[in-house]
Amino acid sequence: MEFEEYVSARGQELVRLGFTVSGDYQRAEDLAQIALMQAFRSWRKVRNADDPHHYVRRILVNEYLSMTRRRSFTEAPTADLDPQRTVPDHATSVANSDDLWRALATLSARERVVLVLRYYQDLDDQTIADVLGIKPSSVRATASRALASLRRRPAYSGASESNRVDERLS
Amino acid sequence: MSNTDLEDDLRGTFERAAASVPQAVDLTERATTGARRAQRRTWVVSGAAAVAVAAIAVAGFGLAGSRNQPTQPPVAGGQAPASASATPQVVSAQTVAGTWRPVQMVGAKTLKAARPEDPVLVFKPDGTWTGSDGCNGLQGTFSIGQRGAFSATSGPQHLVGCENVPHTGVLHAAKRIAISADTLQFFGADGRQLASYARAR
Repeated sequence: MEFEEYVSARGQELVRLGFTVSGDYQRAEDLAQIALMQAFRSWRKVRNADDPHHYVRRILVNEYLSMTRRRSFTEAPTADLDPQRTVPDHATSVANSDDLWRALATLSARERVVLVLRYYQDLDDQTIADVLGIKPSSVRATASRALASLRRRPAYSGASESNRVDERLS
Repeated sequence: MSNTDLEDDLRGTFERAAASVPQAVDLTERATTGARRAQRRTWVVSGAAAVAVAAIAVAGFGLAGSRNQPTQPPVAGGQAPASASATPQVVSAQTVAGTWRPVQMVGAKTLKAARPEDPVLVFKPDGTWTGSDGCNGLQGTFSIGQRGAFSATSGPQHLVGCENVPHTGVLHAAKRIAISADTLQFFGADGRQLASYARAR
């Protein structure tokens, strides 16, 4: 597969992945571009990898984590989901997604990345560990911590569950 | 809320977030252009470093020679350094005019390596010189005084990296020039040969 073919087929997926981990459209494009630049520079090696997309995805995710560790990094406010751009869905789902989307912004970068890789990319813990260069047990611990943190948010705690839009509508 | 509910919500949220991302345009071009620029910057930096090293080497050899060090610097091409008194001959801007190819140069070991451009020096009768280090165009002025006294200046140049031939370092360090038949020799302040060139046919 040539580089141009790969970008045509998977480039937008990378931007989407960049957005789900960073919550920022501009940063998502930057992350995708950086990942693709690095892949392009050693494309022969990337192309010959078992799964080139896995290779590029790993570059992107680790670039994001490196970015967040830099002192110059300032957490950009998470972009609100634009209902006009989203796929048509139930109205309550939009509202609940917004709650959860904002809650995700409170997690650490690694916690969010683990959740994205697990629930958006549907990767198993072993593969996530490989992407992040950590042990599977660390992935499980990080995911568990992140989920616990999200459950503590008002919108997801039992005490305020009645505030969820779908509950109110039912 | 159960873990399963939360996990389902997470999946939905991520899907919706991903679906909201605008279509990125020109990703291929931006990635390839960015990578090439980065590569070019690397080449420029390494090229500048190579030129600096060559200049330091030439200057260093000249300085060592001026202190009458007995050791000889390594010479490319296997030729022994010539003495300053090797080929005294009347030289002038007219007699050196023409195109010259490097044959031997102190500290340069890859004169015959393939380069994007022909690494030649071109002297003109009007006292200007042009040429190429193999990747970048070079230019400047030169003057030849009595008994082959030589000095040269160089103008601004790009610093694209490759196996740059350090013509500029030679011209700056050279204090005397000699010509015999189709061979042009440059000598440092200590009288040691810095480089020799052959006239291009």
